[in-house]
Amino acid sequence: MKSLYNRMFGQYWNPVMALVLAGIFSAAYFGLTGTVWAVTGEFTRLGGHVVEFLGGDVSGWAYFDLVHLEGSTFARSDGWIVWGMLIGALITVLLANNFKIRTAKQKRRYVQGLIGGTIAGFGARLAMGCNLAAFFTGVPQFSFHSWIFIVATGVGTFAGVKVAKTKWWKGKPKLMKGGPAPVAKREKRIVQPYVGSLIGLLYAGLIVWFFATGKPVLGIAAIFGAIFGILIERGQICFTSAFRDLWLTGRTLMAKAIVIAMAVSSVLTIIIIANYGMTPITQVASIGTFVGGFLFGLGIVLASSCETGMMYRLMEGQVLYLFVFAGNLIGVTLLAYSWDHLGVYNLLVAGGEKLNLITAMGPGWAIIATLTMLAACYLFIDLYSKHKRGTLILPKGEKKIAS
Amino acid sequence: MQADFTLDLRGESCPYPVIYTLDALKDMQKGQILHVVTDCPGSFRNVPEEAVSAGYKLAKDPEKAGQEYLFYIEA
Repeated sequence: MKSLYNRMFGQYWNPVMALVLAGIFSAAYFGLTGTVWAVTGEFTRLGGHVVEFLGGDVSGWAYFDLVHLEGSTFARSDGWIVWGMLIGALITVLLANNFKIRTAKQKRRYVQGLIGGTIAGFGARLAMGCNLAAFFTGVPQFSFHSWIFIVATGVGTFAGVKVAKTKWWKGKPKLMKGGPAPVAKREKRIVQPYVGSLIGLLYAGLIVWFFATGKPVLGIAAIFGAIFGILIERGQICFTSAFRDLWLTGRTLMAKAIVIAMAVSSVLTIIIIANYGMTPITQVASIGTFVGGFLFGLGIVLASSCETGMMYRLMEGQVLYLFVFAGNLIGVTLLAYSWDHLGVYNLLVAGGEKLNLITAMGPGWAIIATLTMLAACYLFIDLYSKHKRGTLILPKGEKKIAS
Repeated sequence: MQADFTLDLRGESCPYPVIYTLDALKDMQKGQILHVVTDCPGSFRNVPEEAVSAGYKLAKDPEKAGQEYLFYIEA
């Protein structure tokens, strides 16, 4: 029992396993509800609620019609995906005794988080989805906009790494002579797992209540939200690092895991679509998709996290991500405003069209094309990593003498 | 364990623990020990992985102390 607990919460899960499970559950969530695992659409609605709370009137904003700003976040399935992810991640963080208020020593990080979060929020909604709906759950819906988004995010994150590596952005740590550093005292009593269990029980009660009161859709969303939150926290799933680490050091763990999981999810989704005659979720592919994907990529590297990773990091107690979250909400709201008021739609999106591979080429070719594209991504990651790693390893014995 | 240099990176989030660790190791002499303390959960995996793939050795297995992570890396 103790060793099982240790395996579950004493160490992080293999990211490939966590992501493949997330891919399977997201396909199942689509099969059950006809909608996909997504978060920034709900962030946009939350932004709308904030504007309304501050006395603004958003009834004339076209973007809010597009994302259906109706009712409260607690009455929406997309809302419960977001709250479920936060609560699920919090539960496992506590079960692992890993919650700690982590404040940044370099205050510039908060400004960076806010700036990056704003750019990422704006870009994600311009492209109609973040790393989920325009990427991880977009590819398995055979929506072509996600193909554009992946390439654009790659370019954007590459630019982001260039900025993050500059001296003024990176900052400087304190390198001390000698060691070791004084560490936190060992806790006498570990209480976090008890709190986590209690929250888990209360949340389970809420889910039962949803089903008992005739709101099964909310109940399903609450369950899947928590599963997604647990998987991304336990696997430390970070879409930002998938791109960033490849450009930075040639690390491929997360990027390859994502590609494998998307392939699994795509196969399951095409089976579900073929057997149940469901309509895949398709978003407009336009210049806006590319511009949005680029901004999203740039923003997530600057903020150190995308909209998804931000959620579990916030639950770990990393204060930086409060600023990223605030930035995300500002960014999505700015996009919603500029959509019609500043002509962003007419400029970047109006010329686009909804393109789905299944309707365009039939289910057989759609899955073949998707798997081919994913195989090409995998190959690119592998080759780029070998190239990058080759340039990084220092010749031994030629080190500078420490000053 | 004794260390020649110590990087206290508590409060830093990804990717800075990795960048700072690799930067510090680059400027050290072969055989010297760098001690790194972090509290960003992502760093528990990526700091040792990146150090090893850049050609350095772990002088000791990574250790979790409460909500913090301790690494000893040989340059």
